[in-house]
Amino acid sequence: MALIEVRNLVKKFDDKAVLKGINIDLHQGNSKVLMGTSGCGKSTLLRCLNLLIQPTSGQIIFKGEDITRPGVDVRKVREDIGFVFQHFALYRHLTVEENVTLGLRKIKKMKSKEAVEKASHELNRVGMFEHRNKYPAQLSGGQKQRAAIVRALAMDPAVLFLDEPTSALDPQMSREVVTVINKLFLDNITMFCVTHDAFLAKYISDSIVFMDDGVIVAEDIAERLFYESVDPRIKQFFLSVIDHR
Amino acid sequence: MTFWDILIILARGAGYTILVTVASVSAGLAMGLFLAVLSTIRWKAVSFFLAAYNYVFRSVPALVLLFLVFFGLPGLGIRISPFVSIVLSLGLISGAYLAEIFRGAMAAVDQDEIVAAEASGMNSMQIFLYIMFPQMFRMSIPGMINEFTSVLKYTPFAYTVGIPEIMKEAMSLAVMTLRGLEIYLAVGIIYFIIYRLFVMLFMTFEKKFRIPGLAPE
Repeated sequence: MALIEVRNLVKKFDDKAVLKGINIDLHQGNSKVLMGTSGCGKSTLLRCLNLLIQPTSGQIIFKGEDITRPGVDVRKVREDIGFVFQHFALYRHLTVEENVTLGLRKIKKMKSKEAVEKASHELNRVGMFEHRNKYPAQLSGGQKQRAAIVRALAMDPAVLFLDEPTSALDPQMSREVVTVINKLFLDNITMFCVTHDAFLAKYISDSIVFMDDGVIVAEDIAERLFYESVDPRIKQFFLSVIDHR
Repeated sequence: MTFWDILIILARGAGYTILVTVASVSAGLAMGLFLAVLSTIRWKAVSFFLAAYNYVFRSVPALVLLFLVFFGLPGLGIRISPFVSIVLSLGLISGAYLAEIFRGAMAAVDQDEIVAAEASGMNSMQIFLYIMFPQMFRMSIPGMINEFTSVLKYTPFAYTVGIPEIMKEAMSLAVMTLRGLEIYLAVGIIYFIIYRLFVMLFMTFEKKFRIPGLAPE
């Protein structure tokens, strides 16, 4: 059974359908990357999956439970889904360590000492331990994103969602973040990532899902989708996002 | 009687001035915070109440409100002590201004952080307590200093309801000695000292709660 099963998911904003019947599965230990042109509905799909956006119709089965049905404890579902944002979204009044421990203390109800130990362990994993007492404004973009990844991971989520994790970064910082996410991929962390970054997509995915105009057009491994697809929309897209130098 | 003696005599009333200021600002802070939180509720009735509150308490002069509370309410059988009257009047007015300061600061909290907190599974109360309030408080400090200054300048009205603060002491002394120039100059100096002390206190707060890297050190 898949960790997440999406069936006929539709999302309309007023009369405009942004998602037009999405079907997708994500298995434990699997990593999928969602790609497509801007405005095709990738981020909307990701946000529907943890109910930050309420879908109009369709089903999302998470850990065997339909989380779109009324009466579902949305916060419990979200606790189990780590979310990394394009613009980091670190709490700017808290240090890196406090950013990581806040959820552990207030949501997971961990004791402070235990939370700090857990945070230290996770920060060490991504080389952020030495920056634990810094505030977000004192970090580089790459460091901010690594801290944001740790914040999500520390909660031991069943799956990690990444919404354009490298889009706001320059190439050097972007590589720094790709390295960290690649490490998670190699550790078999279940991930679902939205990105335009073909380099990131290639190194962190078991398969890539290509979306266009609210529907899933294709799903395949990176090489085949990048270089062998005959669909003109896919060819056109990858021609523009892959650095051919 | 030297100028120094005048200062000493008037300084006795400074305790009441400080007490009225602190109590009024505290009442204003509580009211302002309550109104700011209320403003997050998108109900028409609530919006109407907030707009009405805002218009009324920002337009009615402090002295008029004080007289309404102290001299007017007994007509309805409600008797309020002089101290509570001034604190209530200044607190209500101050609350209207502070609510605007808090609302502005709340709007300045990065929406992405709120979404991130929501996505992590926090409830509305946790988001307010751990994400919004700490940032709102920090961003409001400069506005709170301004509001504190206004309240301090309104405190001389306390003498009109019989509170023996600096102004009341000064008027009594002026009647007895006819040395108005020195006496009121001394009043000004005492107010200036109180103002400076409080501003220094607020600045210490601001420095302590400043977010490193975000605001100039």
